[in-house]
Amino acid sequence: MIKFHPNEELLVQYVQGNLDSALAVVVGTHIDMCQHCAQQKKDIEDHLSAKAFGAATDFNELSMQTMLDEIMNSSAPAIEVPHKVNKHVVVEGKQFRLPPSLARVSKRLGEWSKVPGSVWRAPLQIDNDSAINLIYMGAGASVPEHTHRSQEATLVLNGTFIDEHDRYHDGDFVFLNADHRHSPQTAEEDCLTLAWLDAPLQFTSGMARLLNPFSSLFFK
Amino acid sequence: MMQVMPEKRVNRHHMKSNSASPQEITPEYLAGLLGEVALSRSRRAFSELFKHFAPRLQSFATRQFGNEQTAMDLVQETMTNVWHKAHLFSPDKGSPTTWIFTIARNIRFDILRKNKKNQNDISADELWPVLSEEMSDSDDEFAIDQTILLQEITSYYSQLPDAQRVVIEHIYIEGKSQQEVSDELGIPLGTVKSRTRLALQKLRELITDHD
Repeated sequence: MIKFHPNEELLVQYVQGNLDSALAVVVGTHIDMCQHCAQQKKDIEDHLSAKAFGAATDFNELSMQTMLDEIMNSSAPAIEVPHKVNKHVVVEGKQFRLPPSLARVSKRLGEWSKVPGSVWRAPLQIDNDSAINLIYMGAGASVPEHTHRSQEATLVLNGTFIDEHDRYHDGDFVFLNADHRHSPQTAEEDCLTLAWLDAPLQFTSGMARLLNPFSSLFFK
Repeated sequence: MMQVMPEKRVNRHHMKSNSASPQEITPEYLAGLLGEVALSRSRRAFSELFKHFAPRLQSFATRQFGNEQTAMDLVQETMTNVWHKAHLFSPDKGSPTTWIFTIARNIRFDILRKNKKNQNDISADELWPVLSEEMSDSDDEFAIDQTILLQEITSYYSQLPDAQRVVIEHIYIEGKSQQEVSDELGIPLGTVKSRTRLALQKLRELITDHD
């Protein structure tokens, strides 16, 4: 069972369309993987739509008829050719299947590059303001202890990673704010995650602090 | 696809009087209207949908944008999609009100984005494929090619090693998640995954050998 989920506030903002777009991709991917949150998303949609459409304005009869006629006389939109999506990613010779929310944005995926600690990242360009990364940690890999200047969301796509707080498996969605420090690592199993950061990492322990000037290499 | 017709609508509440509104607006009734638009381009059905939803959409959009013209654009664009794409509505997935709300949500998202003028920004249909012609199936991880019927595969099951067959049956017949199978059988998740992978590989080989 998936143990960690986005909270209700995130799901509501996701359904409203008010969430940061890159974070919305992460939440949408979690919903693909999690029946519990898929059901909650449905309930929120029902609730919000009832609320949104609870009131009606007095529509001017004439403009209403004009719009109605325009719509019914409009020509059907051209059927869009669906753009090509990659349903898989390959990293270090391993192939992973992408959940639908990620497959839909797969054309936005950049090249893989290696970062220190047996870790690979590939950026996913969502818009000018925000980016997310696929992070692949080989078995026995670790990212040095760090905090975040603000927030980090991590979704496990496949495998397991561990930090001081818990173990995280397929579908787990972990949201950390600036107060949390952690050092993610893998054990015998490798791990593919999707990570959203709204500011670069701050490394906090020993020699790893030397990495701080280069922390943009890590994930953003 | 659209089995729900107006006759089938359910009145949960006993109406005090039917005289005021001859036609009680229920989700089933609205779904029936969408069905008529989809099947026969019924202008009458669409006019009824329009009269129900347009004033509600306008109220919603005015609150969102605080700008009358933008609000009217959202109403028109949303209802234009309803007119042309009613066939994409599926009553199994939710109510007409929810469907139309999600269309309006997407249009609002794109209107807000358009103002920022960044061409590469993500669009609403990448985030929420409400009006996608292809049905997106979110549960298709490790799914076998749809064209291969389960009954065809059944005959190959017996050729799988017991351990793999049990896992495949739990996942594809009982619809359990890999984690549930792992919990139930008391074997590590990694093992469930590798057995699934191996079994599907084996099944594919058996199937292609037979073609």
